[in-house]
Amino acid sequence: MTSPHAEPVVAVEGLHVRFGEVEAVAGVSLEAYAGQSTALLGRNGAGKSTTMRVLAGVVPPTDGRAVVAGHDVRREPLRVKQSVGYCPDVGGLVPRATPWEHVQLAARLRRLPSSDPDWEARARDLLERFELGDVAHRVTAGFSHGMGRRLSVVLAALHDPAVLLLDEPFDGVDPIGVEATMAVIADARSRGACVLVSTHLRELAVEACTSVSVLRRGAQVATMAASEMTGEDGARAYRGLLD
Amino acid sequence: MPTGASSTDTSVRVAASRPAPVDGPVRTVARAVADVGHLLRFRLGSVRRPWLAVVGIAVWLLASGAVAVLPAYAPGAGPNGDGLDVLLVLPSAMAGFIVLSAVAAAASGGGRELLARDPATIHPVSPTTDHLGALVLAPLNIAWMIQAWALLGATSYAVGSEYVWGAQPIIALWLVLGTALGQVLAWILEGVRRVPHGISFIRGLNVVVFGVALGLQLAGELASVFDRVPTRYLVVSMVEVTPDRYIPTLVGLALACVLAVALGAVPAHIAAHRVPRDELRVEAGSYAARPLPSSDLVVSVRTDRASVWRAVPMRRGLLVLALGPAAVALLGDLDWSTMTILPGLVVSGGVLLFGVNVWCLDGRGALWRESLPTSPTTAFDARAYVLAEFLLTASFLTVAVASLRAGPPTPSQLAAMLGATLVVTLQVVGAGMRWSTRKPYAADLRSARATPAPPAVMVGYSARLALVTTITGLTFSLFSQAPDPLVPLLLAVPMAAWSTARLLRVRRAWSDPVVRARVVTTVAAA
Repeated sequence: MTSPHAEPVVAVEGLHVRFGEVEAVAGVSLEAYAGQSTALLGRNGAGKSTTMRVLAGVVPPTDGRAVVAGHDVRREPLRVKQSVGYCPDVGGLVPRATPWEHVQLAARLRRLPSSDPDWEARARDLLERFELGDVAHRVTAGFSHGMGRRLSVVLAALHDPAVLLLDEPFDGVDPIGVEATMAVIADARSRGACVLVSTHLRELAVEACTSVSVLRRGAQVATMAASEMTGEDGARAYRGLLD
Repeated sequence: MPTGASSTDTSVRVAASRPAPVDGPVRTVARAVADVGHLLRFRLGSVRRPWLAVVGIAVWLLASGAVAVLPAYAPGAGPNGDGLDVLLVLPSAMAGFIVLSAVAAAASGGGRELLARDPATIHPVSPTTDHLGALVLAPLNIAWMIQAWALLGATSYAVGSEYVWGAQPIIALWLVLGTALGQVLAWILEGVRRVPHGISFIRGLNVVVFGVALGLQLAGELASVFDRVPTRYLVVSMVEVTPDRYIPTLVGLALACVLAVALGAVPAHIAAHRVPRDELRVEAGSYAARPLPSSDLVVSVRTDRASVWRAVPMRRGLLVLALGPAAVALLGDLDWSTMTILPGLVVSGGVLLFGVNVWCLDGRGALWRESLPTSPTTAFDARAYVLAEFLLTASFLTVAVASLRAGPPTPSQLAAMLGATLVVTLQVVGAGMRWSTRKPYAADLRSARATPAPPAVMVGYSARLALVTTITGLTFSLFSQAPDPLVPLLLAVPMAAWSTARLLRVRRAWSDPVVRARVVTTVAAA
């Protein structure tokens, strides 16, 4: 859970996001640390994806404060985007571009050729690990949902970001893809990255993460160690937090 | 206490294996008509401002009524005045309406959808419902409306006040029949496109039809062909209002309408059971890796280009928009002064293919692209550049083909053409980027039948674009007669500057993260 000796890499305080009349996020506060992975759990519409979008610098907060890798999302969105790798909850792929063209776009905009001369080899390796090597030059419009999810995880992890944001990475993904995603999360943690995983799947969340934050109706209702969410007792505790 | 059925209970197995009862043709049609009503109500329920839709429909009806009646009372109207000249070309205009309906429906893969393909997959929507829906949506197209108004107005002026009230019911029925026949042709063409080598066959057919028309025109026979079209009978019926001719004409037209609408369901079913090969080819296609681009702008342009040029509706639309007006120009032997209106016509049609909702090109990838660390103006510049490039390609193609018969232009005509093309492109790119930013829609442009915004919104956009670009084209047409070619170029400078300033204002608006967040979250919901 929290580490009293380290500064949080992601710090959210009283976050509010409103879309017109709808309050998608209503006062979320959380902290996440380097080398740790935090799961955001909650029902549909709990505000998980909107929180992730704020942390990715895609949606500005209406109120409250969010700092990612030392950068305020409102004041320094470009710095935030440089620090994070984001797998969005819906699709996340340009329909008529190929996986390799997605990789090239990300590599160019993230300046990978200058920071990592071997980026192409690493990108190919990632595509192979997610079993996307054979379709690297096919447009993504013809991809299955699971293939799309796997590619989104590859794109998020491509540049070894300081903060890895995975929104529903296991949704519709086959066991091979789940394993590869788990490996990406473990790799990120081992190199000291901060990982946030938003998902409905409690069992996979506790397997992948060290701590869990539960959101309900746009607000955070609990934060605990992932081990407290395991087994039947964990399932009962989770249900209790959702109702 | 009741229990679940046993696995050995034979009555259950018999019930489960019994095929569902099949509806007869009458029940099938009744169900399809009822489903069109349900889908229409569903679509109307998603209208953002219902009052505006009501006002729009009321204005449309009033305008149509005025166009249909008022010219009959204008000086010179009627077969005994100047109206006679219009009366003589009316049969050709009526036949041309069918051609336009067929081209519009064929270009959009069989006509517009009441419900987009992906959401429709979970509903039992039959091809008959789809066909009827496409017919209902056909008038929500500015080209259809202008053609219909032109026919109503021309008829009114041609027959005069004495016959107008009898003539317009014939024209109204003709509009229905023409639309239905156009739809039948479009479904047949779509069915043929979906068989092996069908696309090549349709392309060859287009070349043959155009070649025959051009040959007839060059031989001076096109007018005599138009004189023999069977619509003459209908025009005569408008001015010979005798009970033994007029009533049978109306009844015959009404029956033909019913028959054509019913007939369209047959090719619609055939097309629906075949795979859209061009879409499949794009989605299963491989594209070889190319070297990494040298800058953020270039890589963004490359991605946006892929989104445009790999989309079936865009490629098909560009060809129709570019070659349609060019064919008319060739057949009509337009000179360079008149040709200055062509770029406006082409770009205002081209921007409707995707440019009025340009951020939807990214579809669900919009959120990911927005999370990439690049300046928002780079993304804006790339999108505007790709849109301008697409429109200029279409304009160039049109002018190049049209110029084959027009001969070399004078320096002033060339300057006017360049000025008109530049200004209308800037106007249209500015309008497209402005609307895309202000009113984004979740639209999936995979299908040739998809539109980037709801049909009623598209009508509003196309009317505004047509007005602005036509006025611009006519202005440059006037100045193409100037003795000094600098004159049209000097005219272009302030107009281009004004349009550029408006475009830059939208670019500044796009820099606002709140604006971008609203746009990307909307289009990513496709």
